[in-house]
Amino acid sequence: MNQPLYELRSLAHSYGGKTVVSIEHLAVPPGSILGIIGPNGSGKSSLLRLLGLIERPTRGKILFNGREVAPFSDEARFLISLLPQEPFLMKRSVFNNVSYGLKLRGNGGDISARVGEALAWVGLSSADFARRPWYALSGGEAQRVALAARLALKPEVLLLDEPTASVDAASAQLIKEAALRARRHWGATLIVASHDWQWLYEICDEIRHIFKGQIFGTGRESIIFGPWQEQKPGKWAKILSDKQQMIVPVPPNQEAAAVIKDLAVSESELRDGDDDLILRGLVSRLSLEKNTGQVVATIIAGNLPLSVGLTPQQVQERTIFPGKDIFIHYSLEQVKWI
Amino acid sequence: MDFILDGFIHAFHLLTSGNAETYSAIWVTVKVSSYSICCSLLIGIPLGFCLGYFDFRWKKSLRTVVDTLMALPTVFIGLLVYAFITHRGPLGNFGLLFSLPGIAIGQTILALPIVIGLSATAVESMDQKLRIAIISMGANRRQLFISSLWEARHGLLAGAIAAYGRVMTEVGISMMVGGNIKWHTRTITTAIALETNKGQFGLGVALGIVLLVIAFCVNISVSFLRRRV
Repeated sequence: MNQPLYELRSLAHSYGGKTVVSIEHLAVPPGSILGIIGPNGSGKSSLLRLLGLIERPTRGKILFNGREVAPFSDEARFLISLLPQEPFLMKRSVFNNVSYGLKLRGNGGDISARVGEALAWVGLSSADFARRPWYALSGGEAQRVALAARLALKPEVLLLDEPTASVDAASAQLIKEAALRARRHWGATLIVASHDWQWLYEICDEIRHIFKGQIFGTGRESIIFGPWQEQKPGKWAKILSDKQQMIVPVPPNQEAAAVIKDLAVSESELRDGDDDLILRGLVSRLSLEKNTGQVVATIIAGNLPLSVGLTPQQVQERTIFPGKDIFIHYSLEQVKWI
Repeated sequence: MDFILDGFIHAFHLLTSGNAETYSAIWVTVKVSSYSICCSLLIGIPLGFCLGYFDFRWKKSLRTVVDTLMALPTVFIGLLVYAFITHRGPLGNFGLLFSLPGIAIGQTILALPIVIGLSATAVESMDQKLRIAIISMGANRRQLFISSLWEARHGLLAGAIAAYGRVMTEVGISMMVGGNIKWHTRTITTAIALETNKGQFGLGVALGIVLLVIAFCVNISVSFLRRRV
């Protein structure tokens, strides 16, 4: 097996005594696209800041190309670039923002060409934008300039933290295309934290969940948050917005989070005599998972989004489409507490 | 009230006629305040950056001390510096008493807390995302420091102006340490004090107006610079 580009060993990071990242082991192969999915406050941004060598972990090691690295490491600082969630431009012109990293690297003559090229990748004309000051840009333009500043460096690793969260649809599309260009043109490794599951399913070689700072799963699991209510002794459930009850084993506490995977779907409540637990839902969207060729169906039960993996044949045979009513089957053994 | 009007006319006359005594005081003021502001910026900006940028155990206490020192009375600084550089003092051998370097030392002590305090405020008010942006572009520690200072340039400039204003208009240090020696250590402010004591209100007002004109020129230059960068 090739040496991983990143390897995280017994990594933990805390702020004020509260652990926000705790990863026993994670390896990221070179040239891959890794998607990180998790709710707000789950540790996505903290993890990306650690991978971007912005902060030093409280405990554990980050290996990059087999060597232990830390903030300002000469082995890695020119190879990794992080695009934070909120665009931040320095108080200078667009040109000087985009060329800043190139100047740090001592790139001489071709700076103008590289800046123009990077701006073009994010759909901004150098003639119109290069001289604009930082304050004369919309949010979407600022985010695209910030991405152009990273792309101009042609980094080996591009870390994207919710790159499309605060921009309009047109800017989001341009940002997505520009990010993928980094992979296509110079084989960059992309690590993307995003709520845009569909996009991640489409582009990622691997998707991992993050919750309470811990990495797990493959991205096809569903995370279900409390509160849980005891219906009768030994029987607990989450009451969904449409009054359905999602039955679960006894939770460790009322606010615990559960992870459930390998859900099955059918068009009827009964499934060949199985004594399953059942939820009724509506297919919300279908996404093609790039690395497996499977279709991931997002089904909304009440107000709860659940992910189900299907083969293209199953989708065709069962004529599953967004808007279709469907039944989800699971057993108590499939529910794990995290 | 005529003496105020006379003062304006006198000021115009002094400046346009090239009065040697007036220009000597202006030159001494500009020279010594420039020395002291340069020293205080060189020492104060890095210290202010550290105070504003880093978190450490006694940060709040240190900040309170710096803020308190911003209000140091000039005569007290003059007294302390005098005590150190007088012939019987620990630095008496350097011959700094009644000299421009002596005044500059005192004025540097006066300006330093202002530069440190306002630099720290400028650095503290920088967006936390700036650090992430700079490091994620590949900056090393030195480049992070320089780029952060550049981003805080407007706040630093405001601190420098405030310190320069305080230094140029102080009278206690210049009087006690410089001795108000004509052609040698007489600054505009000590000249105003002297002329007022002599009952020459018109000349005092004239020198005051000269001081205002210098302050105005400095501020205009800084505003121009600020628009350019």
